[in-house]
Amino acid sequence: MNRFVIADPDKCTGCYTCVAACVSVHETVGLVAHPRLTVMHTAKVTMPVQCRNCDDAPCEKVCPVTAITFQDHAVQINESLCIGCKMCSLACPFGAITPFGTLPEGAGHPVYGGLAEPIDHDPEPVHPILAWAAGQKAVAVKCDMCHFLPEGPACIRVCPTEALRLVDDAALNQSAADKRAKYSGMLAAVHAPGVASNR
Amino acid sequence: MSDVATVCPYCATGCGMRVSVQAGRIGAVEPDPAHPVGQGKLCLKGLYGFRHIAGPGRLTTPLMKRGNGFAPVSWATALDAIAEKLGALKGSGAFALTTSGHLTNEDSYLAQQFARSVMGTDAIHAGAPSAPGLQAAFGSGAATNTVPEIGAVSDLVFIVGSNTAECHPLVAKHVLAAKARGATLIVADPRLTDVANKADLWLRVTPGSDVALLNAMQHLIIKDGLHKLGFIRDHATGFDALAAAVAGCGPEAASADTGVPAADIAAAARAFGKAGSAAILCATGAARDGTLASLANLTVMTGQIGRAGAGIFALQGAANSQGAADMGSAGPVDLPGAILAGQVRALFIAGGNPAMSQRDARSFHKALEKLEFLVVSDLFLTETARHADIVLPAAGWAEKDGTVTNTERRVQRVRAVVAPPGDARADWWIFQSLAQRMGCKTMAYPGPQAIWDEVRRSAPAKFGGISYIRLEQAHGLCWPCPAEDHPGTPVLHAGGHFATPSGKAALVPVPFVDVAPARDGAFPFVLLIGRRVYHFGTGTMTRRAPLLAQIGPEALIEIHPADAAALAVRDGDFIEVGTALGEVVAKAWVTERVLPGTVFATSHFWEANANEAAGASGRTPARVAKISASAARAALAQTRADYRPDLERAVAIRMQAAL
Repeated sequence: MNRFVIADPDKCTGCYTCVAACVSVHETVGLVAHPRLTVMHTAKVTMPVQCRNCDDAPCEKVCPVTAITFQDHAVQINESLCIGCKMCSLACPFGAITPFGTLPEGAGHPVYGGLAEPIDHDPEPVHPILAWAAGQKAVAVKCDMCHFLPEGPACIRVCPTEALRLVDDAALNQSAADKRAKYSGMLAAVHAPGVASNR
Repeated sequence: MSDVATVCPYCATGCGMRVSVQAGRIGAVEPDPAHPVGQGKLCLKGLYGFRHIAGPGRLTTPLMKRGNGFAPVSWATALDAIAEKLGALKGSGAFALTTSGHLTNEDSYLAQQFARSVMGTDAIHAGAPSAPGLQAAFGSGAATNTVPEIGAVSDLVFIVGSNTAECHPLVAKHVLAAKARGATLIVADPRLTDVANKADLWLRVTPGSDVALLNAMQHLIIKDGLHKLGFIRDHATGFDALAAAVAGCGPEAASADTGVPAADIAAAARAFGKAGSAAILCATGAARDGTLASLANLTVMTGQIGRAGAGIFALQGAANSQGAADMGSAGPVDLPGAILAGQVRALFIAGGNPAMSQRDARSFHKALEKLEFLVVSDLFLTETARHADIVLPAAGWAEKDGTVTNTERRVQRVRAVVAPPGDARADWWIFQSLAQRMGCKTMAYPGPQAIWDEVRRSAPAKFGGISYIRLEQAHGLCWPCPAEDHPGTPVLHAGGHFATPSGKAALVPVPFVDVAPARDGAFPFVLLIGRRVYHFGTGTMTRRAPLLAQIGPEALIEIHPADAAALAVRDGDFIEVGTALGEVVAKAWVTERVLPGTVFATSHFWEANANEAAGASGRTPARVAKISASAARAALAQTRADYRPDLERAVAIRMQAAL
């Protein structure tokens, strides 16, 4: 089955450390330096949202050039094959795929609104779809589970509050088993009033 | 490749980190797995906020103002010029010094020695206030407890005036650990911060009404008999007057003042009164208006002080804000006022950017322009340094040895990881060289360790037992630590023994004075000022760290959806927020994090600095604005942000300096 990273909003403090780690590890291995998770702030919760690596992934279905494939229990995008058509971004039910510009070969990392000198860019950031210069192309960017790191996703490792976790077969089975135990405990209380449940 | 243990240069949490060096530059930062506060974790500033150290724009040589720009000069020329100018002002009271929490203890100690011994003045400012409200009550202005106690011991955490999740992320980790153990979390904040959204009880106080809330809680605690009469009798003075004062502070009146339902105030009072070990976390938001004094009253009447996990965790701002206060930087002067009045004519600013960080920044600009002589030492040509007559290139946090003291009074070693660029020098060296040129030959320390040993000799009760050798072994020692065999003091006022002359806590009634800015038709909003997690201070370091600048590329002004709809502002539109003092233009973040009628902005971005609009009136002994809220107007910006009229000039100066 698929594997994915998910956040617990009760533990997430919105510190963006996962976002920074994501950019850093991908930049280091030569992939697009753009975060694969997005911190959402709603009226109730704050948490990063990222790809769920769906088993029957809509992005994989719509990709016209087979740049998106299911490998090692996760959906992977080949940045070299991607033609930047953005169909996957439209199809994704979680908003987990962002089109982002690659850098022309040899160009340095762009400084986004930073103070590094000299100022050679428009200080106003534009929409990600337009955030690249001539010679760049848009590629689909999404969580790749840091498949190139033996220790697994960087976001999980750096999160100061352990709000992120990997969901795989074992984790899902454990979670289901825990809930079944809780549920049966509740049933026991219903059927035998006055008798303490074994919770 | 080497690996050096040091301390994060940003907030006052003081997390330990290990820095690796590759080809003479910082290669990577990893958390120190054994550090008691960080516990093997760092936030994004610690992990990724280091590239400015080797980045472009570092000052590498002293600069002197020439026309509209600067010319590079030698240290001898720069120091001689400063010595001549300041020499004429010795003992005149016309000189003031500003240090900051970005300097080491050793830097700060020599800075204040220079001001006192050479210049003969006590006018020494630090960027951040300590906790004067606690000083009066407890005889010590520092945080009473250490952070790990929150996660390990406290069964109630009450956060007042602290956006802990964003401003002290690794302290928030301990708050969540307490919550996971079953502790109750109560947060009083006008904004839905990322600790407020975790709270069991969120008290959405209107800005500036904390004291009304705290008085009502004390009223209810006494009414319900939840106060600890034995502790009060043995360890406090002034309880009867306090009880009489809060007798009239019922929850209904407080509800009207704070906007918090009376039932919620009652629930908070009951939970606090019945807590086993209650930790109070407060920061800049509580460092004024008697909030700290009122919190002190609350802890003492409930006996929530002097034990592990129970006390006031006053969270300081910068990495060494506590140390700057400890080293004697605490002048009582209203600096811009003193400059504008002609009292202070020459100023030395070490490691701060007050041209952006001071409230009412535009007045501060005027004050800087009025100065006869301004010297600034910094890593970069900051907005403040551009006003200077002489700019000195300072060694950065990763380029010098020394000690820093975090918000728990934990003195820790920082270490030189890389060499400073060009001719940049540590601030202690700058002050020592200047002192020697000005005739003070006794200031001749070979290095930071000798300076620290002098600090230990001059304040033996606090620092006597904290030697560099011990700091090699330990992850810091909490003062007071009077002897080499003393383990340090994580918990102040143990057993209810306070540092006041009587040995008892001084309870003093704190009447609620409504200092909220008066809103009217012209200024219908309240402007709140604060921080974002991915930037620090005025962005001098974080905006030059590419990863942090990528995550936080621009200023955002938070505005409630109802207000945004009324103003036809969509998320991402530029809005202009103005006060009687100035205006700030930035993109709108339409969000329920702020109350209707309030807007929230930051001072991280020079092109959209909310401090240019935020009032500085009504200074208190804490020397920060009485309340970080101002009456404001807000509207869709008519043109794309014409951020600041002096932009072109600033850039021109910067380019000349880069030559």
